[in-house]
Amino acid sequence: MGIRVELAQIRSYPGDVYRNYKKHLEIIETSTADCVIFPELSLTGYIIKDLTYEIYKDAEEATRKIAEKVNKCAVFGTIKEVRKGILRNAAAVIINGKMDYIYKFYLPTYGLFEERRYFQRGDPLKDLKIFEYRDLKFGVVICEDAWHPEPIEALSFMGADAIFIPSASPMRKLRENLAIEESWDSLLKAHSLMNTVWTVFTNVVGSQEEEYFWGGSRVVSPLGDVKLKLNLFYEDRGVVEITENELLRARFFSSYRDHIREFHSILDKL
Amino acid sequence: MAFSKFSSFRWYYTLNICSTNILIMVMHEYIRKSLTIDCEAVTNYIVERIREYLEFSNKKGGVIGVSGGVDSAVTATLLAKATDNFFILLMPSSSTPKIDLEDSFEMIKFLNAQNKYKLINIDEIVSLFSNKIETNNKYVIGNIKARVRMIILYAYAQMLDYLVVGTGDKSELLLGYFTKYGDGGVDVLPIGDLYKTQVRMLGKCLGLPERIVTKPSSPALWEGQTAEGELGIDYETIDSILYLRFDEMRSEDEIVKMLGIPIDTIKKVDRLVKISQHKRLPPEIFRLSGRAINSDWRFPRRWA
Repeated sequence: MGIRVELAQIRSYPGDVYRNYKKHLEIIETSTADCVIFPELSLTGYIIKDLTYEIYKDAEEATRKIAEKVNKCAVFGTIKEVRKGILRNAAAVIINGKMDYIYKFYLPTYGLFEERRYFQRGDPLKDLKIFEYRDLKFGVVICEDAWHPEPIEALSFMGADAIFIPSASPMRKLRENLAIEESWDSLLKAHSLMNTVWTVFTNVVGSQEEEYFWGGSRVVSPLGDVKLKLNLFYEDRGVVEITENELLRARFFSSYRDHIREFHSILDKL
Repeated sequence: MAFSKFSSFRWYYTLNICSTNILIMVMHEYIRKSLTIDCEAVTNYIVERIREYLEFSNKKGGVIGVSGGVDSAVTATLLAKATDNFFILLMPSSSTPKIDLEDSFEMIKFLNAQNKYKLINIDEIVSLFSNKIETNNKYVIGNIKARVRMIILYAYAQMLDYLVVGTGDKSELLLGYFTKYGDGGVDVLPIGDLYKTQVRMLGKCLGLPERIVTKPSSPALWEGQTAEGELGIDYETIDSILYLRFDEMRSEDEIVKMLGIPIDTIKKVDRLVKISQHKRLPPEIFRLSGRAINSDWRFPRRWA
């Protein structure tokens, strides 16, 4: 194993696909890692409101152009038109120039969020995918999907050893210990520990409209250790090596293997 | 009344010089059809909305500035249909064409408002400002004029317990062809969803004096200023582009084909709309708390 993953904690400029596209290329071209992970909607910006309709085609074109340049592995946020006029909040997964997409399942429409105004949600029956680069099997979920147990749980039982989580998490209350950072830290540790997977959280950073994205991207090992943590509030990048040792130790010494599926048949009826 | 914010519209100045080259087009039949309004229905609707808005706001009536142009003539007429409690301010300056003041008085007569208006020449106030600020820049002074008028309107509104009724139309609002906190500083915009050409149609239906309905739009912030001269495009073209671009969400190329006009004209209109978005939204508040105004703290205007 020993796959080196780079977290590209960038500032996205809402609506400026070309500028974001150049930033993606710059990072991909200068990265020494095997796989580069960008934030959610990194190509378009997150708070783009009705600009969504004006830029999704540019985003798809930029996605194709980036794919041509990726001779290893990259994951970044973009918009995908799945049929005419039906858009999804997507992550492009590029492996050796080959392009695929995953889609966000849970579209937040509370507080400041209004994703269901623009996007259709993914379908778990079709859109849960396991990718493989060299000998790393990984899955990708977007931001809000990490606030529910099932998407990551499903991917881990489908065989993922690492979960990449492109995100756009805005700061809510500014204080010394950010509540939202503590929440994410807890969630990532819980996902990693319960599912014995590496979790790789790449957050966007900087202002978009009135909001501010706090960065703080990080990697948690299957043993629940934070292996890498990027700057709060500033652009940053960092590389972490995803290794087998932690996976094995986590799986040898946990009840993960005893997953009792019958609980799901009860959940199914609730 | 429509006054531009010139700082960001630098390319205008050159266009202004060659305003004789204005692009004029006959309105495309499809767009003419799309923009045709049912005068009676629209009139009844807006009149009722004004009446209701005054009631919900707990205000007794509305004050309005009348310039002699079509927007303020139409809005004042609708206001007068909604309530007897309206008050008109005529606030000419040295750059106000004589004909506009005459037409304003025509409107006073038309609305039977001989006891409900006040004439205040703003030149003295404006020159106090420009002297203190030490400027003779016509664009700066132009915006001061618009904001002086706003101050006077709000003073009257407060004294009368009325609202300030704005006269901006959809074309001006989208282009950003108004002064922030000047003619843009109002409580409500009754004709803000009607394009200029539609306002003219409505004015005609309302039986306004012909000269007002057909008069070229002008902020009259300096002598000889006309909207179409300054923008370099006539309002029929502007409205056609705005309608196709934003109501129908068509691409620049499609619009070129439909209207047979240069793409540069469309780009120009598009750019004006984009750079003026800040004028149409409340000021940005930098998020700091757990629940920030306008972000994730949203309440209707009618709250209490």
